[in-house]
Parts: sequence; structure tokens; C-alpha cells
Amino acid sequence: MNLRIFFAQLKMGLILYTRVPAAVFWIIAFPMVMLLGLGTVLGDSDTGGRKLVWVQSGSRSPVDAALTRALAERGTVVDSVSPTDGEARWKGGKLPALLEGSDGHYSLRVNSYLVGQAMQTEAALQEAFLVAQARAQGLADPARVPVVMSSPGGHRGGPYAAFLLPGLLGLNVLMIGVFSTGIVDVTLRAKGGYKRLATTPLPRFVYLGAQLAVRLIVVLIAAALLLLVGAVVFGIHNQGNYLNLALVQLLGAACFISLGYVLASFAQTPEVYSGIANLTFLPLMLLSGVYFSLDDAPNWLQRLADLLPLTPLLRVLRGIFNDGAGLPDEWSGIAIVAAWTAALFALASRRFKWV
Amino acid sequence: MTDSWAIEAVGLRKSFRDVQAVRGLDLQVVRGEVFGLLGPNGAGKTTTLEMLEGLVRPDSGEIRILGLDWRDRGSAIRTRIGVQFQSTELDDKVKVREALEMFGSFYPRARAPAELLRLLHLEDKAEAYQLRLSGGQRQRLALGLALVNDPELVFLDEPTTGLDPQARQGLWEIVRQLKSEGRTVLLTTHYMEEAEVLCDRVGIMDRGQILQLGTPRELIAGLQQPSIAEIEFVGSAPDVGPFAARLGKPIEAKGLVWAVPLADAKRDLQSLLICIEALNLPMQQLHVRRASLEDVFLQLTGRSLRD
Repeated sequence: MNLRIFFAQLKMGLILYTRVPAAVFWIIAFPMVMLLGLGTVLGDSDTGGRKLVWVQSGSRSPVDAALTRALAERGTVVDSVSPTDGEARWKGGKLPALLEGSDGHYSLRVNSYLVGQAMQTEAALQEAFLVAQARAQGLADPARVPVVMSSPGGHRGGPYAAFLLPGLLGLNVLMIGVFSTGIVDVTLRAKGGYKRLATTPLPRFVYLGAQLAVRLIVVLIAAALLLLVGAVVFGIHNQGNYLNLALVQLLGAACFISLGYVLASFAQTPEVYSGIANLTFLPLMLLSGVYFSLDDAPNWLQRLADLLPLTPLLRVLRGIFNDGAGLPDEWSGIAIVAAWTAALFALASRRFKWV
Repeated sequence: MTDSWAIEAVGLRKSFRDVQAVRGLDLQVVRGEVFGLLGPNGAGKTTTLEMLEGLVRPDSGEIRILGLDWRDRGSAIRTRIGVQFQSTELDDKVKVREALEMFGSFYPRARAPAELLRLLHLEDKAEAYQLRLSGGQRQRLALGLALVNDPELVFLDEPTTGLDPQARQGLWEIVRQLKSEGRTVLLTTHYMEEAEVLCDRVGIMDRGQILQLGTPRELIAGLQQPSIAEIEFVGSAPDVGPFAARLGKPIEAKGLVWAVPLADAKRDLQSLLICIEALNLPMQQLHVRRASLEDVFLQLTGRSLRD
């Protein structure tokens, strides 16, 4: 009997999920969009196709030709423009850097808003400049420090998308808990939906169990689609065991769904809830290294972030996905997330009000 | 406590913080009757209903529903009662048929959605989202959900509030049908005419207590002043003070209409006409009507129902 109700609720829950475009977008499509967008824009593993805008005044020197060739060898195409054109494009604000040459003297203007991109251009330029100078004097090309690209676990190098993808997996379970669980709970209680259900023989645990199951299924679907986009578009693959990855993802989902119920228990109305949810979501997202590493942040902030549930979850997900770690390798992170889950689940059960 | 009561409640009390919502309420509802709980907002109707529905635990008092006690037979009671709320508590994107199927799945035995759709005249809305229904259709769906388990006892909380007259007639029709099928109905309302038309018995509630109980006819007949004279003016009404003083009766002046309760219709009407003549009131019309439950409430509490 209860099992029959459970499956009816599960089916209804999944159907309802597909009927809310906002839920489908934020939980299923948003991670894929982020991966495609940020992975492409910030993906810099190959240097091909970079452009350097070069404004030349006065006469051309022999070094100019050597520099152009050396740049081309390093995958940077020179775009020679007139001083007026160069100035217009600089003013346009989209140029990360502008090279100005005059009688064999050079200077690079760097856009202070786009330092990150300009730095790559600068590195290529500096190297090409040394090569061009050496060649002009008939010397051999200067040696450079060899670079080995690798992910922190040392297993295999990957583009930015490989760093981002496990981060988005973690962000996804945070979002499904805080936005897609808590708000439903608050709205239903405020509308009297729980009261209505309480007058029927539907057991509470069957209802909540189905709600949990719906979300775990949605999380797995979202994760599978994200992995598919990573593999097809960026050629990045899970280096670890898929079952381990799924288990950790489900643990993370359980953690943040519990968090959603805890937060919901402090709000009487959906309006209040959305304030509480955003105040929780934003710091967790920003402090936990979803999009970038926090290595440059102040030490105390990193220590604080390490205590939050999302940071260790991301560490474990990246360990499995990028470095092929097994669960025992990541036991400390798993233990922290599990402890959070146990605490939040206990608190959610205590504070949950059916009527 | 006998089994012939659908509802038996004795000495119910419930306070929320320092507000006494229900203070010592006794109620017996006979199986098969339509019982109306009347009262203004804040009279304690909803709290009473929620205690009877097992949603709110009374501070003290005894409740038996179909002879069973909520404290040990809650699940058995729930399978045999149906509850309709005022507000719509369903997910916006649930379709009508799905809602009926889903609620049906909670019970060991449920009525077929098609049958309920026919009863509620919602056949052509079966595949519509709950969100897209009109107020009347939504109310009928809520009623359908309350009937999905073929309940012996149905609770209806203000089933016609906010409905247009035609939709209200439709709902009355369904309530009459529930009665003809032998079900017991407990409804709350603050429409007196609704109670007079639908209910076998009514209980008039105010400030957490039932002030009077009986058939609508009994309650009206029991009034000290069973008839009401209404004097109607056009344009503007004169000052009511001198008239009331001369007549020696309390008069309820509402805009252009003065309502005068009559204890002895013949004698009181004569003195009324003499006063009108003496003061030369610019009266347009004079009606005499039978008192209604509205007047019962007014005379019991000194307040109008829709204050």
C-alpha cells in the first residue's frame, strides 16, 4: 500500500518537475550552459588563434619582421593597424592589449580590466621578442623553462572545463537543495497543502521519501547530461569510478536537501524564504571554489571555507573526476560532508512541521 | 457516547498563546444530516473544524468522529472522512484528473476520476491545469478531492465564499446530492440564506462558543421578534433619533433603510404607522418580512454577521 503511494507520488513529482520551466532550466540546463560558456571563454589550453593588435609608426626595423615571425610560430597572429584604427579599437574597450612599435622600440599597453587575458598575450610577446633579438644577432633561440601541464592530483592535464565540471556538479546539488526543495516546502505549508494532505491517510514519511527520491533522480539526470556535454564538447572524461562519483553526488544532494528543509523551517512565507536562501547560497557558492581556486584568498577565509560543506564536496568530486581517486583516498572530505549531512538531517527532522 | 452520532464533541477548548479561540464547545451531529456552523470571522469556526478534522489537538475536551477517537484511530478516521478547505492548496501545474488520481491513491478504495468529473461538471476541464480554473471550478475540484474516498462524513469550510450566484447554486445542488446519498455534511458559512436553504440544523457560533442550536425554522420561531418592518426612503433618510424615541424600540438604520423588529406584528405595526404619520416621515415604501437567521444572529450577539 505504502509502496504504491510512494511510486504514485514519485511519478507525479517527476511530471510536475518537467512542467516548471524555471526548475528545469536552473537544475538541468544551467550547469550545461555554464560549462559551455565559461569552459569556452576561459578555456586556454591551446594557444592557437590568439591575436595581437599592432600599431606601427615611423619606419619598419628588421626586428619587426623577426618578431612577427616568432609570434606566428607561437600561435599569435599579428593584426597590423593604423594608429587611428588602433586608438579607436583601444577606446572600444575590448582589446586586452595593444602593441605599439616605433623604430625598433616597443611598448605594450595592457587593459587594466582584462589583465588575465592580456597576461597570456604578454607572455607570448616577451618570449617572441627574446627569440627575435637573438635571431637578429645571429644567435640560437634562447632556451625556455619546460612546461608540463597537469591537474593538481597529477593524473592528467585538462582544460579549465575539467576544473569547472566537478564544481558545477557540486553547485547543482547546492541549488537543488536550497532553491528547488526549500521553496516548495515553504510554499506548500503557506498554502495549506500540508494541512490538506494531513487529513488523508498519506503517511508523512512516504510523502517526504518521494520528494527526496524525485530530487535524487533529477540530480543524477543533470549530472549525466553535464558529463555528456563535457565529453562531447571538451573531450573531458571522468578519470575515476562512475559509481563512486554518483555516490558522492547523492551524498551531496542529501546534504543540501536537508539544508533546504532546515532553511525552510525558519521562513513563514516564500518571500522570506528567498531572502534566507540567497544569503546562504551566495557565500557558499563564492567561498567554495566552484569557478576558481581560492588559493589566493586570505588564509582565514580558506580555513572558514574548508569547514563549509561545499568545499570538501568539491574537493572529493574533483579528486574522483580529475585524478581518478577512490573513495578511501578522499575519506577526509567525505567524512566532513557526511557529518554535515547527519547534522542537517537531524535538525531538519526536528524542525519539520507537517501541520 | 453512542454510535449514531457522526460527530460528538464535548467541552472542547483551544487557546493560541493568549487568545481563547474555542471555549467549551459541545456539538453533536447526527448521521445523515447537513449541519451548518454559522458565525462571523474570528468566531472560532475554523479552529473548531480543524479540531474535528484531527489537524489541531484540543487543549481539553473529547471528540468522537463516526464513533472513533483521533488519539488511537486517526488513520481509520482519515479513510472515512473528506475535507474541503477554503484555499487552493494544490500545485499550480497539477491537472484536474491527475489531482483526483493522486488523492485517490492515498486511500484503499477510491472513486474513479471519470465519475467525480461527471458529478462536478468538470469533464471538459479534466486535462486543464489547476491554475487555469475559475473560482467556481476550483471550488468544485476541492470538493471532488474531498469526495474521492467515498466518505461517510464531509467537512466543507465556507464552500461558496467568493462564488457568483450561479456557481453557488451549483454547489448547493451537489451538497443536496451528498445528503440524498446518506452522507453527513458539516459546513461552515457566513451566508445565512445558504444555511437556511441547505442545513437541517445550524449552530450559531460567536467568541468560541455555540450560542444556539436548532433547525433554522426553530431558531427563527424562537425569536422574541419574529417579523421585521423595513422603512425605505429615497434620496436621504431623516434623523432616526426622534422616531426611535417616540416608538420606544431599538431601530437598525442602514443607509436608506430602517429595520424595526416587531414582537406582535399587528400592534407594533399600528404604532409604527402612527409614528410615521405624526413625524410626517418622507417614507417611500414599507415592507414587513419574516425574520431570517441573520436577525437571529443579530439578536443573539447584538452584532451583524458581516461586521
